[in-house]
Amino acid sequence: MDIQVKPVYKTIVITLLLLGSIAMCIPFVWMILASFKPESEVVALTPKFWPQQATLENYVRLFTEMRFATYLWNTLVIVFFSFIGLFLNAAAGYAFAKFEFPGRNVLYYLVLGTMMIPSQVTMIPVYLLLNQMNLTNTMAGIVLPGMVNAFGIFLFRQFMTTIPADLIEAARLDGASELRTFFQLVIPIAKPIFAVQGILTFIGGWNSFLWPLIIANDENLYTLSVGLSLLKGQYGGDFAIQMAGASFMVVPIVILFIFMQRHIIEGYTISGMK
Amino acid sequence: MQNALQKLNKYKYPYLFIAPTLIILFLFSFIPIFIAIFISFTNMNLSGLADFSNIKFNGFDNFVRLFSDATFQKSMFNTLIFVVVGVPSVVLISMAIAILINQGTSWLFKSFRVIYYMPSITNIVAVAVIWGYLYNSQYGLINQMLGFIGIDPVSWLQDPVIAKFSLIIMAVWKAIGLNMIIFLAALQGIPRTYYEAAQIDGASRWEQLTKITVPLLSFATFFVSITTLIGWIQFFEEPLVMTKGGPINSTMSMALFIYNTGFQRNNFGYAAAGSIVLFAIIILVTMIQFKVRKKDSDVEY
Amino acid sequence: MLVLLLISSLVLAACGNKEEAGVTTTSDGKRVLKVWGMGGEDNAISTLIPAFEKKYPDIKVETQFIPWDNAHDKLLTAVASKKGPDVIQMGTTWIPEFAEAGALLDLTPYTEEFPNLKPENFFKGAQETMTVNDQLVGIPWYLETRVLFYRTDLLKQVGYNEAPKSWAELKDAATKLTDKSKGRYGILLDTQDAAFTLPYAWENGSEVISSDNKAQFNQPAYIETIEYLTSFFKEGLTPNESDIKLLPSFGQGLIPMFVSGPWSANQIKTDLPDLKSDQWATAVIPPKEEGGKSASILGGSNWSVFSSAANKDDAAKFIAFMSDPETQVAKYKHDQDLPANMKAWDNEVFNNKPIVQTFRDQLDTARPSPFVKSWESIGDLIKAALQQITIGGADIKEQMEEVNTGADSLLAE
Repeated sequence: MDIQVKPVYKTIVITLLLLGSIAMCIPFVWMILASFKPESEVVALTPKFWPQQATLENYVRLFTEMRFATYLWNTLVIVFFSFIGLFLNAAAGYAFAKFEFPGRNVLYYLVLGTMMIPSQVTMIPVYLLLNQMNLTNTMAGIVLPGMVNAFGIFLFRQFMTTIPADLIEAARLDGASELRTFFQLVIPIAKPIFAVQGILTFIGGWNSFLWPLIIANDENLYTLSVGLSLLKGQYGGDFAIQMAGASFMVVPIVILFIFMQRHIIEGYTISGMK
Repeated sequence: MQNALQKLNKYKYPYLFIAPTLIILFLFSFIPIFIAIFISFTNMNLSGLADFSNIKFNGFDNFVRLFSDATFQKSMFNTLIFVVVGVPSVVLISMAIAILINQGTSWLFKSFRVIYYMPSITNIVAVAVIWGYLYNSQYGLINQMLGFIGIDPVSWLQDPVIAKFSLIIMAVWKAIGLNMIIFLAALQGIPRTYYEAAQIDGASRWEQLTKITVPLLSFATFFVSITTLIGWIQFFEEPLVMTKGGPINSTMSMALFIYNTGFQRNNFGYAAAGSIVLFAIIILVTMIQFKVRKKDSDVEY
Repeated sequence: MLVLLLISSLVLAACGNKEEAGVTTTSDGKRVLKVWGMGGEDNAISTLIPAFEKKYPDIKVETQFIPWDNAHDKLLTAVASKKGPDVIQMGTTWIPEFAEAGALLDLTPYTEEFPNLKPENFFKGAQETMTVNDQLVGIPWYLETRVLFYRTDLLKQVGYNEAPKSWAELKDAATKLTDKSKGRYGILLDTQDAAFTLPYAWENGSEVISSDNKAQFNQPAYIETIEYLTSFFKEGLTPNESDIKLLPSFGQGLIPMFVSGPWSANQIKTDLPDLKSDQWATAVIPPKEEGGKSASILGGSNWSVFSSAANKDDAAKFIAFMSDPETQVAKYKHDQDLPANMKAWDNEVFNNKPIVQTFRDQLDTARPSPFVKSWESIGDLIKAALQQITIGGADIKEQMEEVNTGADSLLAE
């Protein structure tokens, strides 16, 4: 939309955005810089912006004091299964968008209703259920409860309603089965929305903390976030290493976002923010 | 019977497609809600958890106690303030930023997108430490900057009234990113021809904004408001990591109250009753929003 | 789609490992003992375990560590599923609630075989954390207690060559040290900590909670204590803001006195490299009158056995090993945690260490916070009342009546 934009006007816009981005950035930059400071500098009364004695010590501790490989693996497994959940969301969104069937609206509203359930309500009941199903201390117990989510189904449905019915009809006439239509026609069209949901799913899985901790009766099931919080002692302190951990965990997400941002915005655009 | 089977066969694909999600949601969202409703009528505590035979029904006792509990009342009031101030701020600020960022396509504007998105992906522990420093009453960055222009230090997190707003500012900062992206996407869906036509008609920039952009963002606005609203009614993480609900319970939200009674004080029955009230409020508010929304529908992005 | 779900659930099931009742054994026939420790203890515990496994070659210890902040949530779910560990490290304040819920095993039958478990081995205050309803449910591992940390150089400047020795001296020193123009306070009193009033209340003869389980907060002894403590706030001798950065402020002399535990001594050494060791010292918390009895709060960690434990006998062996004086000295050498077993203190490693000796002296008179399951809730009431008084300017007597009523109803539950 850069048509007919006067230079003065544009300067004002850029200045405003620059000022805002300083406010948005400071905490983030602070975190990264603090991760290179020794503890005494982080807790100093008037901390300096730049590290005075830059150190990699915090990162070294991060990798030596936690069972990094195991935790990384578990985190990746959780991310992987949340991506399977993504396909389940997509399938449900597709059915709600493109099929007529008895009970469709009721079921759809029920699904949306789950968005409103506060997690504090369900934590103990879900734990008791998983315990009955003998799923505590299993990867299944960790990933199943959060595998699908109403917000995702909602976005997929919004998006899929915009796919022309003729297109799907044509595929069917060509003799493609419903499953094939879904995997080979619908999913490729839905790429942008997968990008949107993909990054949200990745963030969720990558940061998963409380649930893995509660389900795991074995450190072999711990995630990166849990490992990180183990480094913090009973009486506080250890801010520097927490900053290192937080920086380490956020970097992959930022990279992912930078690569995918075009798709993400497209995804929301087509997905029926209209 | 035959008929039902035929019907099922006819619709087998849609059911097959929604079955996995519905089963998971049913198991891990619906059943737990019913368990929670059940628990809310009992005195369930740690002994009850250890041995179910210790659980006793106590009818509506929990609910009656809840509404005479000064802390719970305060948490409802606080949550109301959080919602009333927080939701409009998030919606308006993220919309404004999206409109500004949408003015350009150069690398600078692309970087802005990333920068404004960053807070929403920053780990909450880091957020707490950093904002703790910014808000520190003794040597915090904000008070130091105020000092330069001769303003006395402010007790950002110690004053019962100011603390509420400090948390709101922080939560708005964190929430802008995701919502800005949603608005940005909606903005890019608006056909350029609308603006060209308006310019030919001699509409000013302000008129274009208020007559074209904002009305056409109505769906995105609705969507952002409703998810933000639900999120803020469940306001939890920020008070937990920053103030633990203090000072004098002035930042105690309903969700934090429930967490404290349930997980810190082991009164699961009482906490479940609180969460049922919270759940009811969310449903009510969402329904009202949908009702209001039903009134207008036009071309929207 | 169903196929996809089936496959994923199969894969998931394969990832998990089933647990069975009874003692599990490893492939080479060793009995497995599951131990939960707290975050930050992993190094210490891991260095102690080889000696234990050498002593009992047929036991294999499997450890899991839990972050402190979330340990309570985790313990709750373990109680519910009865799939907890055999042995667990417990914060002492949690013991009453879990013991009363029947989650902890009575260790009395094991005391004959393992004399290390007997209460008389431990400090008097620590003994109070060992039994609930006459059942032996927690064996002290390490202790912490609060003492007065002070800047010797700054106190000298206002005429104190030694630490304040009474309430009056403490207040006097704080008044003389306070200097608004330099942003300096006299002392830091932490109202965020529910236990903060206890030492002074005990010194003033308040029982806080009587032996027949009645709250004593509206009694003169406690009210007097609160009047004394809150006067520091009223007169501006201590900051109202709870977010003071304690250690750096101590280093710069802005907070010349504070009350804290052994961790602060370690943090001063690591975080304040510029503060020389002759610039600060520790002393027991001043008694009300000079020469009177000092009191302090006692905390730390105990070891307990879950009543649902599969391997109870080996669990007792493990705890007996952990409470052995030798093990506790090794633990001290590793991370400076204070031994709970009094015999451990005979070791020469503690000689000529004035800071550690202050803690040693304070341990003799330190007591745990009232050992009732609702203590944490009562603590919340006290914290709220203190905030009402110091920030909101509320009336002390009224607030204490309110705390008392609230505490009594919590105690009656």
